Amino acid sequence: MNTIGSDARAIEVLLVEDSPGDVRLTREAFKDAKVRINLHVASDGAEAMDFLNRVGKHASVPRPYLILLDLNLPKKDGREVLEEIKMSPALKSIPVVILTTSASDADILRSYTLHANCYITKPVDLDGFLEVVKSIDSFWLSVVKLPHHPRS
Amino acid sequence: MRSYIEKIEAHTTENLFMLGSSVSATASPAFPTGNSSERGLVEALRESEERYQMLLDGIEGYAIFMMDVHGVILSWNAGAERIKGYTSDQIIGHNFSCFFPPEDIEHGRPEEVLRMAAASGRYEEQGMRVRKDGSRFLASVTFTALRNTAGSLRGFSEFSHDLSESKQSGAKYQALLEAAPDAMVVVNEAGEIVLVNVQAEKQFGYRRDELVGQKVKNVIPDGFAERLMADGARSAAEALAQRIGTGIELIARRKDGSEFPIEIMLSPLASPEGILVTAAIRDISVRKEAEMHLAQMEGRYRGLLEAAPDAMVVVNAAGEIVLLNVQAEKQFGYSRNELVGQQVKNIIPEGFAERLIADGTRSAAEALAQQIGTGIELIARRKDGSEFPIEIMLSPLESAEGILVTAAIRDISVRKESEQHLVKTVGELKRSNDELQQFAYVSSHDLQEPLRMVASYTQLLAKRYKGRLDSEADEFITFAVDGCKRMQGLIQDLLAYSRAGTNGKELCEVSGEDALRGALTNLRITLEQSGAVVTHDSLPALMTDETQLTQVFQNLVGNAIKYRGAEVPRVHVSATKNGDSEWIFSVRDNGLGIAPQYFERIFILFQRLHGRNEFEGTGIGLAICKKVLERLGGRIWVESQPEKGSTFHFALPERSEK
Repeated sequence: MNTIGSDARAIEVLLVEDSPGDVRLTREAFKDAKVRINLHVASDGAEAMDFLNRVGKHASVPRPYLILLDLNLPKKDGREVLEEIKMSPALKSIPVVILTTSASDADILRSYTLHANCYITKPVDLDGFLEVVKSIDSFWLSVVKLPHHPRS
Repeated sequence: MRSYIEKIEAHTTENLFMLGSSVSATASPAFPTGNSSERGLVEALRESEERYQMLLDGIEGYAIFMMDVHGVILSWNAGAERIKGYTSDQIIGHNFSCFFPPEDIEHGRPEEVLRMAAASGRYEEQGMRVRKDGSRFLASVTFTALRNTAGSLRGFSEFSHDLSESKQSGAKYQALLEAAPDAMVVVNEAGEIVLVNVQAEKQFGYRRDELVGQKVKNVIPDGFAERLMADGARSAAEALAQRIGTGIELIARRKDGSEFPIEIMLSPLASPEGILVTAAIRDISVRKEAEMHLAQMEGRYRGLLEAAPDAMVVVNAAGEIVLLNVQAEKQFGYSRNELVGQQVKNIIPEGFAERLIADGTRSAAEALAQQIGTGIELIARRKDGSEFPIEIMLSPLESAEGILVTAAIRDISVRKESEQHLVKTVGELKRSNDELQQFAYVSSHDLQEPLRMVASYTQLLAKRYKGRLDSEADEFITFAVDGCKRMQGLIQDLLAYSRAGTNGKELCEVSGEDALRGALTNLRITLEQSGAVVTHDSLPALMTDETQLTQVFQNLVGNAIKYRGAEVPRVHVSATKNGDSEWIFSVRDNGLGIAPQYFERIFILFQRLHGRNEFEGTGIGLAICKKVLERLGGRIWVESQPEKGSTFHFALPERSEK
């Protein structure tokens, strides 16, 4: 888990991703973002849930505005994480963007059935990937109005 | 008249003996004559003689005559004339031996009877006699030796009657005989036929008069006469008694020499003429044939039973085993003797006996009918207690002993084992297939991750350090990224191929035209860019998978446009019925065409006929078509000439099965 800065005006985003290469690429892409983003990273599903539920060392972490979730994760699978989030009255209002290498129909259908907010397959080339992250930034973090949850 | 004779019969023999003596005395010069009163005496004698002759002639039922010591006939009464057929003129002076059958004469019978009469004073017999006309009859005859007062033999008298007309009861007996359904033959102790009925005439093919007097041996060569004749140790009565009342099967011979099987019942009849044997003779040709047929059928049934590959057990309504074959012995490990009479429950503990036994609401026949003819799987038990699975087929058999049930019992251990094996194998196959799916998915997914890293970071490197590296480095980076992209394409296609035809949806009625329309919609951009013209005939509806049929059309039409020649691509889709239950679809184009040596190769995964710089793609399309079609029970092939175009045909059953 690492968190870039702690700018109070920045938008809190949780990236659940086990590949350091992808984490780095995502960071690179968000460097050019229109808004300032506080990117928190959980490298497996269990840690993601701890972060969201503020368990243990995550006791004082902020509640994210957006979750970028990979599906194939160590410990707790991304599909389970998605299901837990969407079953939880406290967490289900947080938009979840599935960002994964899988392009399988089954994964896509399953994710939307579990109330994923959108599903994106990671493009294989760099430009494509950067474009995708930029579009997430411009759509989810600029265009879309997200609910404001006062900290409990 | 008859009753009168009957009454007098008992007395007449003695009386007539005396009478005979008197009569013979008149005819014989050896008798003493009287003295002075001789004339009166002679007169008296003549009167007396006339009276006696009248008396003798009045007895029509009996032949009464006298002979000299050699058998020459001296007197003759009316009865003799009637019975023997000779008038007194014709016979007096002739020897009495002419009354005997020729064979008896040959054996010296006439002399013998006289000898015996002379020896004991009197001799009685029943024997065959011959009339003047040659016909025979059975006669009861009494010979009496006639001696003078000095005791020297002077001659003989014969007193005889025809037995067949001797009594009123004889007539009743005859009527009874004629009414009998069987051939009836009455035989005397000498083995001679004395009486027959009309059935006997018919059966043996002789006339009555030909049969009477004949030896019974002539019509029943073996086994009958022997039973009548006493051997050294037994009397005739004993010999008979042994066999009387039992049906004896013998062979009879007709007049024409042909033989036939008979059953014969003997019963003795004590008569004044000695023991007569009445034989009831039944022609049993038909029964014998039926018996033989039955034996043959039984033999065949038995053969059939033994030849059956299954164990066969016949069970009666009480659940007892009444018949079985050698396979049953083998299967159950019992010998035949151990099984017969045993309760079927002992070898098939449950499910069989219950089917034979009626409950309150059903009759036994109903209980059976319910289950007959269906194969029932049950458990059987061997002698050693071990159990094995069987399939049993029941069929009822109406018999004299009630309903019998034939059970064909098949040991299905092997089948059961192979069924279990099959279930296990199918399970393993499914598991292995699932694993393969999982493997293909996981490996393609997991392979993509490092690939993306290689591609992305190579590109990031290019981006960050552009101009700071030399131009060769930029070229190397381009190759590296291109390689990654191709690798990614291959992995994605591999994934697509591994999934092809497996995401099974329910089969439904699919319009061929709808499927083609769907494919063309997916190809909209390609169609617009190429200006291709796609036409089609009317296409049938099939019971198949719509998504997959659409995919096949999409790949084939897509290929037709992709591998186009110089002209505007024209694609035509048609369909023809092949046989009863199959449609052949054809996708014809005017494209590049394919050389015949590649007709097979193009359907293999990742096989391409063109360089990457000519056409994009990994060579997955036709391989997917082939896989999808084969899973739907169809097939695909191509007809083509280079530069003239290709026609891809695919066959699909009217109703696919999954």
